[in-house]
Amino acid sequence: MKPLQRILHVEDVPAIQVVTRIALERVGGFQVLSCTTGQEALDRAAAFDPDMVLLDAMLPGMDGAETLRRLAGRIDLGRVAVVFLTGDIDAERLEELHQLGAREVLSKPFDPMQLPARLTAIWDAMDDDGTTEG
Amino acid sequence: MDPSPNPAKEHPADPEPSRLSALLRYEILDTPDEQDFDDFTQLAAYICGTPIALISLLDEHRQWFKSRVGLEVCETPRKISFCTHTIQGDGIFEVQDALTDARFHDNPLVLGAPGIRFYAGAPLTTPDGHNLGTLCVIDRRPRALGQSQRDALVRLSRQVIRLFEERLLARRHAEQAALQQAILDSAASAVLVMNVDGTVARQNPAAQRLFGYEDEELLGRPVSEALFPRDALENQAALLSAEFHQSIEPGFAVLTAPLRRGPQYMREWRLRHRQGGEVPVLLNVSPIHDESGRLRGYLAIAHDLTFQAQLQLRLQQIAAQVPGMLFQFHWHKGDYGSFPYASEGIEQIYGLQPEQVANDMTPILEKVHPDDRPRVSAAIHRAAEQNGAWHLEHRVLHPQRGVIWVEARATPVPQADGSVLWNGLVTDISGRKAQQAELDKQQEMNRRLLEALSEGVVACDAQGNLTLFNDLSRQWHGQGARPVPPEQWAYVYGLYQPDEVTLLAHDQVPLFRALRGEHVRDVEFVVRNGDQVRHVQANGNPLYAPDGTQAGAVVVMHDITERKRIERIQREFVATVSHELRTPLTSISGSLALVCGRVMGDIPPHLQELLDIAYQNSLRLSALINDLLDMDKLSAGKLRFDFRVQALQPQLEQALRSNQGYAERHQVGYRLGGHTDALVRVDPLRLQQVLSNLLSNAVKYSPTGGVVELTSELRDRWVRVSVRDQGPGIAPAFHDRVFQKFAQADSSDARQKGGTGLGLAISKELIERMGGRIGFDTHTEQGACFWFELPRSDLIESTSGEGNK
Repeated sequence: MKPLQRILHVEDVPAIQVVTRIALERVGGFQVLSCTTGQEALDRAAAFDPDMVLLDAMLPGMDGAETLRRLAGRIDLGRVAVVFLTGDIDAERLEELHQLGAREVLSKPFDPMQLPARLTAIWDAMDDDGTTEG
Repeated sequence: MDPSPNPAKEHPADPEPSRLSALLRYEILDTPDEQDFDDFTQLAAYICGTPIALISLLDEHRQWFKSRVGLEVCETPRKISFCTHTIQGDGIFEVQDALTDARFHDNPLVLGAPGIRFYAGAPLTTPDGHNLGTLCVIDRRPRALGQSQRDALVRLSRQVIRLFEERLLARRHAEQAALQQAILDSAASAVLVMNVDGTVARQNPAAQRLFGYEDEELLGRPVSEALFPRDALENQAALLSAEFHQSIEPGFAVLTAPLRRGPQYMREWRLRHRQGGEVPVLLNVSPIHDESGRLRGYLAIAHDLTFQAQLQLRLQQIAAQVPGMLFQFHWHKGDYGSFPYASEGIEQIYGLQPEQVANDMTPILEKVHPDDRPRVSAAIHRAAEQNGAWHLEHRVLHPQRGVIWVEARATPVPQADGSVLWNGLVTDISGRKAQQAELDKQQEMNRRLLEALSEGVVACDAQGNLTLFNDLSRQWHGQGARPVPPEQWAYVYGLYQPDEVTLLAHDQVPLFRALRGEHVRDVEFVVRNGDQVRHVQANGNPLYAPDGTQAGAVVVMHDITERKRIERIQREFVATVSHELRTPLTSISGSLALVCGRVMGDIPPHLQELLDIAYQNSLRLSALINDLLDMDKLSAGKLRFDFRVQALQPQLEQALRSNQGYAERHQVGYRLGGHTDALVRVDPLRLQQVLSNLLSNAVKYSPTGGVVELTSELRDRWVRVSVRDQGPGIAPAFHDRVFQKFAQADSSDARQKGGTGLGLAISKELIERMGGRIGFDTHTEQGACFWFELPRSDLIESTSGEGNK
């Protein structure tokens, strides 16, 4: 059971990206790789080897769901927790994201001070479920 | 007097039966002795010098003596009588000595008592020639009558017959008199017999009853004085004087003078009753003449008209009550009609008097409006031909009242002579016509009003038959009132929910609800007609008749499509703006959260306060924008719910955890009270949102150090969740608006408490979408207590589950 360390973060809005990264690094103490597009995430994911992928659902061009679909070929999603961050979302879309393997869909805006604790809780819950070997 | 020829001689047939019946007609057999007859027998015995004289009558078997002198027996057998022989002949039958006469020598009346030797009889011959018997004289010794004696006997016998005739006549007179009396007594009409001078000779009981006089009070008095009113007599006298060009006294002459015109005189009089009242009679006066043509008096017969007068009066009274003119119209084949009866109302209807039309219908036709005359005429002819009831409305040119409308109705009664008698009524319907015109005008006005309205109006009667669609509603629905049952209104007229796709259930249709007695206020729905989609807001009301029964229902629809469009644009604008605002705001509040959370190191003390203000207000702005977006989605029906059956208790615990930080910042504590195993079917995220709203609200209004209590309890099929604070409670004035958008107990609170004013409105919407209800208790002194209730899924599931298996 390893603690959550490496988070691949995909967010197109620079201000949000910065705030989020600082929160994750400074408050949560995680290692964060911030990407601005889905493509960038795909390109760098394998090398980064994340424990968790934190995806903005609404990305220009390739959206969060598509990015996740393509990530499946590059990293082992079986032991990576995928968490979406989204503003408005309807139930159908939510279901789609869960189907794709999302552990959790968090709504924006979020409290950056609380975010690391939420992600940790999700990570720990994944371990409890026994879905990953650790 | 010569004896009439004996009918026996003319008729070979036996004359005896007719002789016997003639005898019986005199009804004299077996009557007592009478002086009148005895005088004759005495006279006969005296003249003839015989000891015995008899008036003997012969019936079938005997001779019977009506009068007898010198004989005791009153009858003897016919076979042995001498008189039998007398009546065979015409004159005197004389037997001078019975002992020497072969016909009588062995007769017992000769051989024994009374010992007859001499007999002479004169037949009693009636005017019609029947010998009824004899006047005979008898002696006990032989003798013969002299010529003068025989002559006297014949004369006496004629006197006896005259006596018989007188008797018969007297009896007939008595019978006649009795008959007359009986007729008079039993006559229904009053009969007065007057002497020539006009005094009353006799009255019958009917007259007594009619006029009230006893015989002794009336008989002998002048009839004109007793029964006739003076002024009436004077009137008649004047008229008759003029007619006959001579002065006629206002007395009995008034009754007799008209007889110059003819043998009878008949007239209606109002006579005087003994008690002073008036007696209406039809009086018939005729003279009484004797056989020689001499005037003996007068007969007055009075028919009591009281009953007729009453009927007449009653008819008059009834007619006076009938608004209009009652009439009897007599129509003769051809072109001739008259009004035997017309009530006083004819004045009101036609400006005529009954007399003017009594013999001629022309005056009435002339009063009919010229434009209507041909129609009226034609209708009379047609009705007369068809013998059908007549009903017609037409105008009348009334001399005083101008043009009036009348309605005439009549029923025909065909007469034996081929004419037709119509009984009917003409009424003035000008008022009704005017009302009708007024009503028409009103209806026309209403119609124009309805058409001018920018509202759609639809109405139905109490049975749910559609009765009214104004222009606009016809246009909206693409059709007007049709016979469509209420259950199909939504389908046929395209009535949908505001979502534009769900058909209204039949009991949601406003007109149907109004028909059920409901007052429907501001219901929004959609009218679809082909591609046209129209949002309307409707108000509906039951319609009541003046007697309070429901007469139907009406619904007025206001087109709110444009308003909806503007609202949508506004909403979209707000949504767009909110959405665009949210991203920069997230970065601002996120940055401030990190700075204020000292993630980037210590904050210089002089910046601390301003940074906190910036952070708190950025949070508030975020919350406002979130609420606005939620509200928008709720209003647009776009908020999707992810329903799951959940245990309630963990949800409550989760909510407390999530809001713990907020409570701590306000130095308020949470307490979880009660515990239920209830399951609810909810969208957990939305339930959290509601709980979060209620909890943060409670915290906001709690005093420092206060406690907010979250409890749940089972209530029958519901589970209730309550959030109670120790704040000031909810001011009663605010109760109505608690769940309205942007409502806050005190608008000055908003700034202080940091709410958006949408939280409760959103919570209400969310709870209701999840099948629950929300409210608050109003014990202001104990703080506020908001609650919501959700239907228990555990109950529903278990029962339905078992049912299925």
